[in-house]
Amino acid sequence: MITTVVGNYPKVAEGAYSTKLIGAISKWQRKELTDAQLEAVYQEITRAVIQEQEAAGLDLLTDGQIRWEDLVTSLAKHLEGFEIDGLSRWFDNNVYYRRPILHRAPVRKRPILVETYRFAAGCTKRPVKAVLPGPYTFAQMSEDRHFKRLRPFALRLAEILNQEAIDLARAGAPLVQFDEPALGFGRPDMKLALEALGAATKGVKAKTAVYIYFGSLNGALEPLLTRAPVDLVGVDVVSDPKALGALKRLKVAKELALGCLDARNTKLESIKGLHEVFRAVRRLVPSDRLTVNPNCGLEFLPHPQALAKIRRLTEAVRTYPGASTY
Amino acid sequence: MLLTTSVGSLPKPEYLTTTRTKARKGEVDARVLRELEERSTREWIKTQEELGIDIVVDGEQYRGDMVAYFAEHLGGFKESELVRSYGNRYYRKPIIVGKITRPKPITVEWWQFAQQLTKQPVKGMLTGPYTIMDWSFNEHYPSRRAATLAIAQVIRDEARDLERAGAQYIQVDEPAISTRPDEMDLAIEALGIVTRGLRAKTITHICYGNFAAIGPKLHQLPVDQVDLEFANRNFELLEFFRGKRFPKEVGLGVVDVHDHRIESRDEVIKNLKKALKVLRPEQIYVDPDCGLKTRSPQEAVEKLRVVVEAARAVREQLLH
Ligand SMILES: [Zn+2]
Repeated sequence: MITTVVGNYPKVAEGAYSTKLIGAISKWQRKELTDAQLEAVYQEITRAVIQEQEAAGLDLLTDGQIRWEDLVTSLAKHLEGFEIDGLSRWFDNNVYYRRPILHRAPVRKRPILVETYRFAAGCTKRPVKAVLPGPYTFAQMSEDRHFKRLRPFALRLAEILNQEAIDLARAGAPLVQFDEPALGFGRPDMKLALEALGAATKGVKAKTAVYIYFGSLNGALEPLLTRAPVDLVGVDVVSDPKALGALKRLKVAKELALGCLDARNTKLESIKGLHEVFRAVRRLVPSDRLTVNPNCGLEFLPHPQALAKIRRLTEAVRTYPGASTY
Repeated sequence: MLLTTSVGSLPKPEYLTTTRTKARKGEVDARVLRELEERSTREWIKTQEELGIDIVVDGEQYRGDMVAYFAEHLGGFKESELVRSYGNRYYRKPIIVGKITRPKPITVEWWQFAQQLTKQPVKGMLTGPYTIMDWSFNEHYPSRRAATLAIAQVIRDEARDLERAGAQYIQVDEPAISTRPDEMDLAIEALGIVTRGLRAKTITHICYGNFAAIGPKLHQLPVDQVDLEFANRNFELLEFFRGKRFPKEVGLGVVDVHDHRIESRDEVIKNLKKALKVLRPEQIYVDPDCGLKTRSPQEAVEKLRVVVEAARAVREQLLH
């Protein structure tokens, strides 16, 4: 079993790597800090969260998305054609993101995340995965004033994300992950979502993954687990209590990542409860094709509880009798 | 008809915000802070009276976050370390760690303080159980539902005490209700616990959300009045009420609280008349979209003045 996080990690930690990022960003906004000075703080915090993941015993790390405002702005603000607009609610959370508005056909001028990926990978000997918004979610969370139709918009974003994914793989990312939380809401167009995902992962010389979280996964689970053009599918079995049962009735043709700790509530899962979840999927995938992680990014939690969750996760895997391949 | 009010919070004057910051750092005595909170409450009551607002509020000068304020005064909650809400903004999210209790009334003393300053009725302002649950972590109760219903009990006690103290209007805000339409029934059930048996007029304010999804259940909300933001959605929400005989009063938000621009009187009059094509005059209460606390005190006064003048003008025209 592989242990990992989904993506983001608390940017501030009163009892650990400090809250200095808050002050640094406000000073930078007031032009009291140079780009280079802010960059130094970003690097310091990124290094700290990577070291923390490593010390907690995770196998596969992320950079904690310390520079990211939210899943879509972090990409959209570097693409031509987008304007970053006002606050909108981030799915069913009391958290907000800035909605990108597309005015013209989007263009990616240069790699966006490659440099920061290289920095993160250089902070540790463990593998660091790269995370991107999925094309379907990116399109859904934006306001499209150019294409005015979801399909061409999502497919154009898929091409852009594909270029980024290829570059990230070239920079050494062993896994490129696409987050598609929008697939848990309403009636997602799964045909389009899979087509866009196929375009995004095409020719990427690394393992690829799609993660879904929040909402209810009824319509998305089966198509993803059987036909998604990726190696690994991440499923949140916390937000939708029915997801685990539904999962057990499906044939899992992919590697599976099980989002089994609640990253939206501070209550800490018991080792026993986690072992039960591991056991529930043992007939679906052999343990060498199973990844375990919190159900979504850890930034919804205050730092002490986020750290407690990943420590609990690695402890649960260490003490799991069935984890022979680990 | 077309009685005017405001949604709840009003901006804090600068002398109060700076003192609050100092008090948090322990640089200022709690008594000094309290005196300034009373001073600005007095000023806001006087301002609302001078503007001619029918149902006034205390302005919540002594509250910070609408959920944290209640969590701080209830038993069973503790404060978390910082979590990010968006951009570079962080807050401390309450954690439910034990059985929720109300050691003593929370808002009643402030309500009494405000009411003895004016002859106009002062609205009692509470945060609803569903919103308190949704905006907190829960480590104690086995489910979101169990936590919500436990909170409903203590908010009901608070509502009863406000009524006993003389409040004729009690507003229970549920802005979170529109986040998860699948939990609307839970929110309705919990709100019902709070309002059951109250003789005071009950109101709930809902904002920021998926209105299309919650609209069909709006009439089931166990309150006399549903207060909604109309201005920042260009009054498109009126379409929902068209052709229906909506059985409750409607609080009509006619000025946008997120915009610095002060709406003109004529513009608000025009929109009120639009609303009158869909709703009955005695059904409508006129107010800003939401709490005005994010505006400057000057902007808030000017927005409230437009609310009052427009409502008054339309009222005159209806009478003659
Ligand atoms: Zn509001």
